[in-house]
Amino acid sequence: MPQAPMPELTSSVKLKYVKLGYQYLVNHFLSFLLIPIMAIGAVELLRMGPEEILNVWNSLEFDLVQVLCTSFFVIFISTVYFMSKPRTIYLVDYSCYKPPVTCRVPFATFMEHSRLILKDKPKSVEFQMRILERSGLGEETSLPPAIHYIPPTPTMDAARSEAQLVIFTAMDDLFKKTGLKPKDVDILIVNCSLFSPTPSLSAMVINKYKLRSNIKSVNLSGMGCSAGLISVDLARDLLQVHPNSNAIIVSTEIITPNYYQGNERAMLLPNCLFRMGAAAILMSNRRSDRWRAKYKLSHLVRTHRGADDKSFYCVYEQEDKEGHVGINLSKDLMAIAGEALKANITTIGPLVLPASEQLLFLLSLIGRKIFNPKLKPYIPDFKLAFEHFCIHAGGRAVIDELQKNLQLSGEHVEASRMTLHRFGNTSSSSLWYELSYIESKGRMRRGDRVWQIAFGSGFKCNSAVWKCNRTIKTPKDGPWSDCIDRYPVFIPEVVKL
Amino acid sequence: MGRSQEQGQGQGPIHSIRLSTVGAARPTETGTTHEPTGLDLAMKLHYLKAAYIYSPETARDLTVRHMKDSMFMLFDQIAWTTGRFSRRDSGRPYIKCNDSGTRFVEGQCNLTVEEWLSQPDRSVDEFLVYHQPIGPELAISPLIYVQLTRFKCGGLGLGLSWANIIGDSFSLFYAFNFWTKAITGETIHAPPPSRGDRRFQSPNPTVKDPVSVKQVDPVGDLWVTPNNKKMATYCFNLSVADQISPHFPVNGINSIPVFEIIAGIIWKCVAKVRAEPEPVTVTIIKKDPNDLKPNNAIRNSQVISSVQVDFPVAEATVEELVRSMGEAKDERFGIEEIGGSCDGNLDFVVYGAKLTFVDLSGEDLYEARVMGKSPDSVYCNVEGVGEEGLVVVYAAAKSEERGVTVTLPEGEMEMVKLEFKKCGLIAP
Repeated sequence: MPQAPMPELTSSVKLKYVKLGYQYLVNHFLSFLLIPIMAIGAVELLRMGPEEILNVWNSLEFDLVQVLCTSFFVIFISTVYFMSKPRTIYLVDYSCYKPPVTCRVPFATFMEHSRLILKDKPKSVEFQMRILERSGLGEETSLPPAIHYIPPTPTMDAARSEAQLVIFTAMDDLFKKTGLKPKDVDILIVNCSLFSPTPSLSAMVINKYKLRSNIKSVNLSGMGCSAGLISVDLARDLLQVHPNSNAIIVSTEIITPNYYQGNERAMLLPNCLFRMGAAAILMSNRRSDRWRAKYKLSHLVRTHRGADDKSFYCVYEQEDKEGHVGINLSKDLMAIAGEALKANITTIGPLVLPASEQLLFLLSLIGRKIFNPKLKPYIPDFKLAFEHFCIHAGGRAVIDELQKNLQLSGEHVEASRMTLHRFGNTSSSSLWYELSYIESKGRMRRGDRVWQIAFGSGFKCNSAVWKCNRTIKTPKDGPWSDCIDRYPVFIPEVVKL
Repeated sequence: MGRSQEQGQGQGPIHSIRLSTVGAARPTETGTTHEPTGLDLAMKLHYLKAAYIYSPETARDLTVRHMKDSMFMLFDQIAWTTGRFSRRDSGRPYIKCNDSGTRFVEGQCNLTVEEWLSQPDRSVDEFLVYHQPIGPELAISPLIYVQLTRFKCGGLGLGLSWANIIGDSFSLFYAFNFWTKAITGETIHAPPPSRGDRRFQSPNPTVKDPVSVKQVDPVGDLWVTPNNKKMATYCFNLSVADQISPHFPVNGINSIPVFEIIAGIIWKCVAKVRAEPEPVTVTIIKKDPNDLKPNNAIRNSQVISSVQVDFPVAEATVEELVRSMGEAKDERFGIEEIGGSCDGNLDFVVYGAKLTFVDLSGEDLYEARVMGKSPDSVYCNVEGVGEEGLVVVYAAAKSEERGVTVTLPEGEMEMVKLEFKKCGLIAP
């Protein structure tokens, strides 16, 4: 029946125009107010005529003292304003580690090793296979060399080798890209959650590159997958205090010492998802970098739900019955992540959303509180605030949940899904692989706003908002350079193994 | 002293065994499969073994990492060999090309290369080749095992155990040479992997009921030759001038068929020991002269022919035996038919179905140079040999010598060695 869909179509088109009209009205409200005022002023001026205007001008008595005081006052206010404005923090460039093909772990190899190592526990093997089938990972993710052994050989030496391999490769690439000399690094922040040797990984970097003795170095450990954005926040605070400086952040997760060797099902899950990766980022507050910097940091919001017991225990490192250490993921993880996201959005919403969305949200809030508590809460349309989204590729479930909660389209979450497929869950560095994907696809234009969302143990939800400083040409090297043409790929719900 | 063939070697003088997996660098498309031919299926209970030993000067600086990385380049060319077997609903085995990988075994030895090579029975090299049969779980059984043994002096032993169903000895040598080129860092002009017809060109497609293949009791999914007797291996070197030529009338030094003479002599010795019944039929396996490598380089294309004599072997002269070997009949067509029959559900033995002689002497094994240097020693054998026995003849370090590996039932070995001593093949 052609009649029925037509009214629906026309009504949805009408609704779209109503929405657009409303948005323009509210977002440019002040401009709309200004227009009648300017009109009245212009009419008044025209009405007065040139002689009357000259009379008014001559009647003003300009005392020298008054003029000087006024000018000083204006200059004083503007100086205070400019001095107290926070410095603009730039992201000059970043580099992601691309694992060698010799570290690749196809599904079949992973399952075969699992069957050989857990030969007495077929149920655990079955569980791992089901996880892998639905994980959203591809056949090209990588594990460090020590994990390719049957059984894995996670010595401290092997862990250090992995750390050196991933961190130094990423940093060499970053130095080459930016032309930065190691002696010019002022701040160094390294974050790696589960491997924390002495001397620290930041000391290892300082030793390798012979960095300055008065460098401000920090090593963050134990802070989970959201530690990447915590490092950015720390770098931002340090760059506010130290003028004319730059900061290097290294985000990674070292897999070798943390591969779970037991057979407790809830703790086998990370083995299926976590893969090798690292990213090195150069940030700066120097005015000279504002031409070549890729992004400007607009906002960074950190939300910690640790005060709530359920959130605190949902990602918990512990020993199993046999004494093997692993990370226990609770079944409520998705629900807790949703709540943490809501808390984070409540803070970041007012900072980034256009006035139209904020008004709607306020009205819906008032409506729910006062009139009808059963009204569905209005979810602000974040697509109006951002062009690109980088959701931490923690697992397929996280991306699905966020896509649903924020009502994002497939293209918005494409960077996250494809990063999960190609690189797996690389923990704190995954946000940078996703950003690199968007750049490699040539979608990053000047003025585009990017929202990076990271979740981590604790339970934390951290967001960073970046504004693209210059249109970025498709990079010739980088982790996606040899495979970007194959993406996006269709990832089936269940891969038949 | 002979050594018994055992499954899952790697023990004995080799310690600190570590297993890992290497594979192909590029992912294979999901759903790719490889179908074995009838001849492939007939060979499924056999495994080819080769051990190459390199001196410390050559190998001291080669790291395990480098060796593994070079293997990835090899397997990029033959990614299907890193798959796993599965069965169709009819029971016919096929390879699922899922990039599972090859097992890489690392081991250490407390002897130096010199001490190792000083042992007279070269079958100690069996310890350099890690071997496990395919099965009982087909899905987790690798088709190839690579063992890397580090000797006390820094020398290296590289052992390959290769399921015969994927390819013949010549394919194994081709793959190994490819690997040594990758290790040395030479740019390899690899031929594009061809998925065309892998069948051999047989000039003689009329032989039915081949005698060189014997059906055995069903082995299910554990592909091990069911023998009632325990087999033993003995390996020694021969000098053509000193030990071969005296047995044959000389018509000109270059024209003596060395392999046939060795086969003839050994055939006589075995016949003297194995009186009832005398082995009047033997199998000869050689390289196919019409073989078009390197396209389709990994496959079973070896010529499997049968020789039958109607005179008593023990009293015959070597000349007569050599002449009858010239009339060997190529049985590959028949084996192909039989191997593929019943949807590949039947199990066969080819090596050792009759007393078998394998001629690998045309292959220059010492061309497998690493960093420009040839190996110090190469050893070849087959695992899963039937009860009639196997003799493998291959090139030795010196061009006027040959290596010979003999696999016979334990009970016969000592007596056959006595016969060898009588013929002058081995020193008394």
